[in-house]
Amino acid sequence: MFFHIVLERNMQLHPRHFGRDLRDKLVTKLMKDVEGTCSGRHGFIVAITGIENVGKGLIRDGTGFVTFPVKYQCVVFRPFKGEILEAVVTMVNKMGFFAEAGPVQIFVSNHLIPDDMEFQTGDMPNYTTSDGSVKIQKESEVRLKIIGTRVDATEIFCIGTIKDDFLGVISDPGATS
Amino acid sequence: MTEKGGQGFGNSKGGKSAHKSSGKDNGSAKSKGGRKVQFESEGSGDKVRKGDKIANGSKSSQAKAPSTQECRLERELPENSKFLMDCEAAEILQGIQEQMVMLSEDPNIKLPVSFDSGLMYAKRGSYCTKSLTVGKILQPLKIYGVSDAEICQIANLRAESVEEVFCLIPSLKAKENKIKEPLRIALGELTNLRDALDELAKFNESVAMD
Repeated sequence: MFFHIVLERNMQLHPRHFGRDLRDKLVTKLMKDVEGTCSGRHGFIVAITGIENVGKGLIRDGTGFVTFPVKYQCVVFRPFKGEILEAVVTMVNKMGFFAEAGPVQIFVSNHLIPDDMEFQTGDMPNYTTSDGSVKIQKESEVRLKIIGTRVDATEIFCIGTIKDDFLGVISDPGATS
Repeated sequence: MTEKGGQGFGNSKGGKSAHKSSGKDNGSAKSKGGRKVQFESEGSGDKVRKGDKIANGSKSSQAKAPSTQECRLERELPENSKFLMDCEAAEILQGIQEQMVMLSEDPNIKLPVSFDSGLMYAKRGSYCTKSLTVGKILQPLKIYGVSDAEICQIANLRAESVEEVFCLIPSLKAKENKIKEPLRIALGELTNLRDALDELAKFNESVAMD
């Protein structure tokens, strides 16, 4: 889910950037440092939407760098357990399938795929029901539920399930082509 | 350079069933400089139930409402955090993208990959949907105690029936008696809105092709 939150960060600036464009340089550096990053607590910082406040700079002893506390607003994407997401399948193998919902990767194990769907190998590996009516392959859109999350230094990885009611394939690229 | 108040996800003691509540947190696991891997899982449960494709939507035994899920989120996110519907996020990100076109001459300003994927995700299936319109349709549910988080989840689900909503958002089960009818009306309005916008999208496509 997306959230709009206010975060604070201490930005260090080299003295060569001091001048009338100091604030602009600070904001540019903030955008470069923060946008696209991921933290366990806040999720993916998708975009900075505004600067609330730039505090007084503090000169660091011995280096001449100055640290500015910057409060900024941003849009973050953070999945949470129990959340229902619509994801696009990126890879299918016998262990399950991988899908993406925005910047988040989700893995659905074959144990969490309905029992009546079986893995089919081939050029386009897929999971298909016995009657062939439902197929999960690359580019399929699926609705899944997040049941677990793993936080890395730069990304969040989720475990999902489609083995519940109202979960499963939304659209199959094979059916629409 | 540090983010203030950063903490990892709280760990949860997993429930036994896919429908059970998340349970309370174990507390955060702080990284000690290496890769932080914390795996919190509800578990697939002892009750093996066949998943259903969306078209069928079979009914099943009622789920227990995870009462702590929203509280946990509110604890982990900063104060004054605002839940965003996908269409709301799409409007914000679209605005930023349009500004970036003007600022693109500055090589220092580049949009990260997660921006594009986030925008594409937010815009999916919501051709020209205004968040204000969706918000107005779902606003009456707040009178019955539906929280902002639940409103956003309902908007994002694009559900077709009340049963679907109650199944996928278990926290609403506690208010089922109160909100069933208003929810049915709201879902009907949202479906009409989506259908109208789909028609508009098809019309615009056909005009563009001519």
